[in-house]
Amino acid sequence: MKNYELALIINPDLASRFNPYKEHLESVLSELDFKNIYCENVGIRELAYPIKEFTKGHYLIYQLEGNPTEIANLESKLKYDNSVLRHLLLTVDELNSSDSFLTQDTRDSKKLAEERAHEAKLKNETSIKADSDNADTQSKDNSNTTQLKEIGENDNDEATEINNAKDES
Amino acid sequence: MSTEIPIKFNYKDIKILKQFLTETGKIIPARVSGLSAQQQRKVTKAIKVARFLALIPYTDKQSRI
Repeated sequence: MKNYELALIINPDLASRFNPYKEHLESVLSELDFKNIYCENVGIRELAYPIKEFTKGHYLIYQLEGNPTEIANLESKLKYDNSVLRHLLLTVDELNSSDSFLTQDTRDSKKLAEERAHEAKLKNETSIKADSDNADTQSKDNSNTTQLKEIGENDNDEATEINNAKDES
Repeated sequence: MSTEIPIKFNYKDIKILKQFLTETGKIIPARVSGLSAQQQRKVTKAIKVARFLALIPYTDKQSRI
């Protein structure tokens, strides 16, 4: 028996199908005689670069105890699983049974994003109000400029008329 | 410049690893970061694993596409 750490990036669009899929994964692991010591469900994170045209991924990190002879089987199962964007199997000296920095970081960034979205919403509401105020003054400005333009055009017409008169003479 | 790093860390501690990346995502050489050879090897390995799992960018050019 050896200690393994399995990191997976799962399709982020599974949503309600995620839990059944996770159970399916764990059944695959137990079929191959891998003992699931701990599963760290990191959650959906922004990827540093797109993988298979996905910009987000659901991270799962398993701490496993298993037989080296089954590694090839597990790798091939993960490779042909379309919901797994990427997988990494590492041998480790010691198994962890607590969440790593990643989970905390994901939660923090999620909170931040929510706060920002909330702020943006508030800002939008106020800016819409401000915009409607601005729009009133702008429409007035526009009417002024159109009037000016008309006057300018009239001047041109007069000038061309004078020129025409000169040509005729 | 010498930055203190914990004795034990891995690819998941991206906050630590990001200290050893330039703005463009390159690994800062030990000559600049002041890490010992052993520490630099560990940091480099962890960064490369984190890059594979899209926790850290390979380059800043990829995200702009």
